Amino acid sequence: MTKTNGDFNPFDPTGMFKGMRDANMDAWSKMMIDLVNTDAYAEATGAALNAWLTTSGPFRKVLEDSMAKTLEQLNLPSRDDVTRLAERLTNIEMRLDDLDAKLDESLRPSHSGEN
Amino acid sequence: MSNAAPTPDTSPQIPTFLELCAGWHKAAENIEKFNRLLTTDAKIAQTPKELIWTLNKAKLYRYAPVVPKEEQKRTPLLMVFAIMNRPHVLDLRPGHSYAEYMLRHGYDLYLLDWGAPGPEDKNITFDDYTLEYLPRVIRKLKSVSGSDEFSMLGWCLGALISTMYSALRPDDGLKNLILLTAPLDFADKTAGGFTRWSSNPAFNPDTIAEKLGNIPPEMIDNGAKMLKPIENYFGSYTMLWDNIDNPGTVEAWHAMNTWVRDIIPMAGATYKQLINDLYKENRLMEGTMKLRGELVDLKRLKANVLNVIAEADHITPPCQSERVMDLIGSQDKEVFRVRGGHIGIMAGRGAEKNTWPHIESWLAARSD
Repeated sequence: MTKTNGDFNPFDPTGMFKGMRDANMDAWSKMMIDLVNTDAYAEATGAALNAWLTTSGPFRKVLEDSMAKTLEQLNLPSRDDVTRLAERLTNIEMRLDDLDAKLDESLRPSHSGEN
Repeated sequence: MSNAAPTPDTSPQIPTFLELCAGWHKAAENIEKFNRLLTTDAKIAQTPKELIWTLNKAKLYRYAPVVPKEEQKRTPLLMVFAIMNRPHVLDLRPGHSYAEYMLRHGYDLYLLDWGAPGPEDKNITFDDYTLEYLPRVIRKLKSVSGSDEFSMLGWCLGALISTMYSALRPDDGLKNLILLTAPLDFADKTAGGFTRWSSNPAFNPDTIAEKLGNIPPEMIDNGAKMLKPIENYFGSYTMLWDNIDNPGTVEAWHAMNTWVRDIIPMAGATYKQLINDLYKENRLMEGTMKLRGELVDLKRLKANVLNVIAEADHITPPCQSERVMDLIGSQDKEVFRVRGGHIGIMAGRGAEKNTWPHIESWLAARSD
């Protein structure tokens, strides 16, 4: 992209930026890695996450409840309905897989040989 | 007249108007290319494969063999990737794909894709992955391959699941187990950002899972990126910009970025178990980890083990993968240390010359 001859060139602003960046990148990187590995950072992140979950929780609940009521009024399935249905489908899939396993077992050459 | 050599002119060269115009035109072209690379997907996971089994979101693929049957290894290989990313990194791009490499060496190769959990999967735990899904996958693999023995390669949390399975079902035909950057030992609470963050009392995985259900992919992605923020949020893009005229580097970057951007959630119950039972209580190493009431006793693991450790891994620091070698019951076990990071050791430029050949030669000696 840019010629880097190590000399200052006022007519090449990207070269100046790149030189500055390369000179400082390792130091920034080390500083940030050290920062995120402190207990203070861990505590601040945990506290921020808790605060967000606590404050957004009531709003989310109101939204979910009103959405569920709206869907019910419109005779449409809610998220919970779809979730329950998906869980039942997975159980059916497991039963089918069990049958597939029994079929495979009965078709195995050694099994056929015994019969 | 002086005989001294002329002094080179080091004063700044003032560009001509035409040079300035050409420079700006080139810069505009590069900005457009840069933007395209950031916002489009490369074609990854292109090696031909067939879907042979599904359950819920999980899928098992069998790769199409590329060598004649008589040249194929007898023992099939199952690849188990982590649960919070897509497994396409194992088949990143044509010409630089671990799957392609192993197929060329005659392996009957299978890939387990756990899939992206939906809201209905928020209660899935490691118990389910290890003792419900994986045994079914292995049953199908045996049925399709016709082999009662198999090898398994687990990467990251895939290695954790593979290890627990191998210890719980030691007589299920597992011959060889390859662990890649396996997070198993969390005794050192200062090793790595994840351990440090999750050990802090302010961090409550129960609340997170209860409020959110599944853990949003952005939260997992940003958590991983914050371990090395400058490299991930800045360095990766400046590297692309610096090499934007280098087609090889651009292609590799685009493929990797496509994989990195394809993020998936983690089941809430699995997340709670990961943080509480493993990161906080280190149950697997302490010998108190139970799945569906069964104790995971690492001494019962008897398959041959190759433990690949990335020396510069910031996600799974080497100390998290080392001590397991003293606890497993395997007679044939080896640690292979690779210079590189969590993903780089298998998907980086050096992987094809270093990591892949070592894994392949170790496995080849134990696959017939």
